[in-house]
Amino acid sequence: MTPEGARLKWRRRGNHAAIFLGLMALWQTGSWTGFLDPLFFPAPLDILASFWRIYVTQGNIWYHLYVSLGLVLAGFTMGSILGVGLGAVVGMNATVRRFLQPYVIVLEATPRIAVAPLLIAALGFGPQSKIAIIMLVCFFAPFINTLSGVLNVNRDRMELMRSLGASKMQVLRKLVLPDAIPVIMAGERLAMTSALSGVLVAEFIQRDQGIGALILTYTRNLNMASAFACILTLTAIGFLIFKGMEMVDHHVAYWKNEAGLKRMTEKRARAFAARRGGLAHA
Amino acid sequence: MNMIAREVETQMSKGGEGAGIVISGRGVGKTFANGAVVALEGASFDIPKGDFVSLVGPSGCGKSTLLRMVAGLIERTAGTLTVHGEPVKGPRRDVGLMFQKATLLDWRTSLENVLLPTEMVRKPTKADEEEAIELLNMVGLKDFVFSFPSQLSGGMQQRVALARLLKTGADILLLDEPFGALDEFTRERLNIELMRIVAEVKATTLFVTHNIGEAIFLADKVMVMTPRPGRLAKMVEVPFARPRPAELQLTPEFNALVAEVRDILGTH
Repeated sequence: MTPEGARLKWRRRGNHAAIFLGLMALWQTGSWTGFLDPLFFPAPLDILASFWRIYVTQGNIWYHLYVSLGLVLAGFTMGSILGVGLGAVVGMNATVRRFLQPYVIVLEATPRIAVAPLLIAALGFGPQSKIAIIMLVCFFAPFINTLSGVLNVNRDRMELMRSLGASKMQVLRKLVLPDAIPVIMAGERLAMTSALSGVLVAEFIQRDQGIGALILTYTRNLNMASAFACILTLTAIGFLIFKGMEMVDHHVAYWKNEAGLKRMTEKRARAFAARRGGLAHA
Repeated sequence: MNMIAREVETQMSKGGEGAGIVISGRGVGKTFANGAVVALEGASFDIPKGDFVSLVGPSGCGKSTLLRMVAGLIERTAGTLTVHGEPVKGPRRDVGLMFQKATLLDWRTSLENVLLPTEMVRKPTKADEEEAIELLNMVGLKDFVFSFPSQLSGGMQQRVALARLLKTGADILLLDEPFGALDEFTRERLNIELMRIVAEVKATTLFVTHNIGEAIFLADKVMVMTPRPGRLAKMVEVPFARPRPAELQLTPEFNALVAEVRDILGTH
């Protein structure tokens, strides 16, 4: 970057910081003067102090984060694997599809969260019913996306595979699944976001532990600053998850982005060279 | 299948192979929608080994239908059709097909796309890779072995598709307007390369096009087809010696043949 460009970049960052600090100062002043009700708008400095307390001096949020993220990971993994697997099976089999379709439509039209109390009744209090709720909210996006990805295979490509004498399994492995990866990944991204909401709902219902329970406890005690600190924590986690899923997406659907294509071209050339004992450029 | 039909096919297979006939049709027909739409009617022809045959005609003359029947992708509704003396029942490994669209797999490099036909039969060996690279070399893509389809131009994608077709090892190549979506300059250059390559691998070739000049320039024989219902109007012999320079298309003899084919298409 040119020195000119670098200077511009830092100036922009400076502007953003100035505006942000200005807003915070305004907010803080509003709280001090009593213009803003601290019950709804806890002062920025109070929130900062809460962050310090829940992360450092008291350090109580770590355990709840650990519990919640563990549930998210378990529920997301199982729910989305189930979704992708069933989506592939249903997509490949016309008979199964015909019989399953009405149920899928009915289930899709039902708000998943509404079933949460039933799941608790069936599975009892504890992590198992929480994971079940997360699985339920994580299931549909990967399922529907995999299904549509499998069903929307390009006809010319299908004819090509047929003309090459491909078996059904070969068509699935070499054409249908790789072709569906980008749309499956879009489903996974939706599912991951749902998983985060899912764990909160599960913990709001069973408020024994986890970040959802913690938020609930703080608001009931009118400790709004700490509740805000928890919410902002979730914002950061949501952002990290979004970025992480984006990275995974760019990696597995490498042919959909320039950088991925370039990386894989080099990687394949290197792998080829390695197979030849380093004679690729000869 | 009834006895008579079986007998006919047996006789034809014997006679066909003996005379070096690779593809043979007798009264081949195809109707769609339970006979309501006649795509092709009563096509009879013999294609000798190593011949380059063009199928030319306007839309709806059944040329693509005939090609897909030879490929075993659709079933005929009338007549007999044999490849290497055997009635066509489905796709065969010794028959390769190339489409107007390159139909490459976006997530595979050129090399991996060319190896796709091999993967249907076995895990590709080093020798397969070697051969695939040689084929990419042959179609002029030496420097694009590890490129992905989206990094290639339309013409280059068709070259990969051609290399993939050759990697099938098929001795019968079916080409359905393979360069039809490309600009005229690229198409002409690829046509000339195609002639050279097909001669090199000694394949029997069926080439579908709606361009009369292209059909004549490439072929030993031109199957002229007319629409509604699709029919094989005439098999025209192309007398020009090979290799054929591009300038051949400017000679009076060439244009006389173009006029003859145009006449057949016009009067039917």
